[in-house]
Amino acid sequence: MKLHAFFITVPLVFAAACGDDGNAPKDAPAAIDAGGTADASCFTNPKTYNEIINACTDAVKVYKDSHPSLLNPDGTVPALP
Amino acid sequence: MKRLSILIALAIAVPVAVPRVAEAANCESFTDVPIVYLQVGDTQTNLLKRLGRKLRDNKDSDGTPHPIRLVFITNPSCTNINAIYTPVPLIATTTMQYLPSLTEDPAWNADDPLHSATLTCTLGAARVPDVANSALFNSACPPPPTPPVGAVRAVQGPTQAYVLAVPTAAEPIAITFEEAYFVFGFGMAGMIAPWTDEAQLFIRKLTTSTLLAWAANLGITPASKFKGLQEAGSPDVAAAVINGTAASIGILGAEVYDGNRTTMKALAYRAKGQYAAYYPDSSSSSRDKKNVRDGHYTVWSPTVWMDLENPVGTPVSLDARYVINLITGGTLDKDPNFDMIKDAIGPVGLVPTCAMQVNRDHEGGELSLFTPGTSCTCKYESVVATTACATCDATHACATGTTCRAGFCEDH
Repeated sequence: MKLHAFFITVPLVFAAACGDDGNAPKDAPAAIDAGGTADASCFTNPKTYNEIINACTDAVKVYKDSHPSLLNPDGTVPALP
Repeated sequence: MKRLSILIALAIAVPVAVPRVAEAANCESFTDVPIVYLQVGDTQTNLLKRLGRKLRDNKDSDGTPHPIRLVFITNPSCTNINAIYTPVPLIATTTMQYLPSLTEDPAWNADDPLHSATLTCTLGAARVPDVANSALFNSACPPPPTPPVGAVRAVQGPTQAYVLAVPTAAEPIAITFEEAYFVFGFGMAGMIAPWTDEAQLFIRKLTTSTLLAWAANLGITPASKFKGLQEAGSPDVAAAVINGTAASIGILGAEVYDGNRTTMKALAYRAKGQYAAYYPDSSSSSRDKKNVRDGHYTVWSPTVWMDLENPVGTPVSLDARYVINLITGGTLDKDPNFDMIKDAIGPVGLVPTCAMQVNRDHEGGELSLFTPGTSCTCKYESVVATTACATCDATHACATGTTCRAGFCEDH
C-alpha cells in the first residue's frame, strides 16, 4: 500500500491570506493537475471506500489547501449551530 | 430588483425550459396513441424531452408501430414519491408537458435551444400519475415515506450527479467537504471566502433531491438547517447564479448544469478524506462522468422510477412499465427503434447503471465497488467521449474475457 506521500510530494506551497470581505480567511488558489501524472498516494487496486475515492486515475485533480477557521483542533467539523 | 433580473435571465439563459403554451388542449383528447402520465423531478426534464420525442414515433424492432405519448409534469422528488405512494392525484386543469411527433413538428430538435420547447395540455380530470420519479434514495425524504405494500414498484435507474455551480468568472475552481459544510451549514458565520453572503447561496426546497442529496453528503441534518435562498426550480437556481455576484454559488443537478455550461462552471469537489478534488467528469470541459462512474466524485444519487402494480405484482399499465424498463435498463419484450443510451440517457448527463463501477445503499452513504450484470461502459463512453475499448462484429471476435455487445468488447 502506498503512503499518503501526497502531502510531501505535491510541489505546492499554500499560504493563508486575508480576503477583502472582512474577516473571512482566504486560502491560496487551488492548483490543477491536468491528469496523467502519477500520484504517489493513490491506490492501484481500490477496495474500501477510502481507497475508492483516492484510487489512481488519469482524471484532472485539483489540489486545494483549506483551513476553515472553525474546524476543531483535530480537523473534524463542529456540530451545526 | 433581484427577482426582475432573475426573470430576465431565465428568459435569456434557459429558453429550452420554457414550454410553449399556445395550445392548451385537454391531455385526454389525444386519443391517437397511448399516453403515459409522469410526475418527475425537474432534473429529468431533458431526459423526458428526448425520450418523449423518440417514443412518440416509436416502432418495435420488428417494425410494428409502438408509439407512446409521454405527458409529464415536474415537481420535487419527495412530492412525486408521495403522489404515487399515498396516492395524491394531480388535480384537473393541471398544466402538463408533452413532445410533438415528427409529423406535428418535423424541425423539433432537443439540441436546438430555439426549437426544443415542450408543448402543453391540461388535465381534464384528476389523475394519479402512471409513473413517478425521484432523483435520490426515497428513504432520504423527511420523513421517510412508507411504500404501499403490493401497490407500487420502485426501480433504480440512471445515476444523477449534483454539483456546486458558480459564475464562470468567479475565482474558485474547487471546494472541499469542510468548506461546503461551513458555507451551507453556518452561512456567513462559516467564514469561507468568497461564499460569506447568504443572499448569494442559491438552494432548492426541502423536498427536492438536489438539496437532500447535498445535505446528506455534507452531513447537514436536518436538511432544514441548509443555509441559502430556496429557489422554486433548477432553472431559477441557474439564473440566480448566472446573475449573481462573484460570491454566488448554487446547487444543481449535473444534468441541469450540463445544459448551462456556457454561463457557469461547476466546482471540483473534495470529499471528506479525499486527497484531491474532482469534477463529475474527467475534466472541467469533458462530459464523460468518469469520476461519478468510478467513485472519485461522490455527490450523486440513483434516480428511482415508480409505477403502480396490482396485488399480484403485474403492472397496472403495460406502457408505463415499458417506459420504466427503457429508462432503467429493464427487460423488454421487443427493443425500440432507437438507442436509449445514445439517444436519451448519455446526452443529458445521466449515467446508466450498467456503466457504473461503484454503488451506495443510502443517500450520501459510503461507496462500494459495483459490477453490473451486463456492462455497457464501452458503449456509454463511445456516446459521451471516446472509448479505448476494442470494437467487434461478426467477423472480429473479442479477446478472451470480454463480450461483444453493441459493437464493443465489454468486460462482462
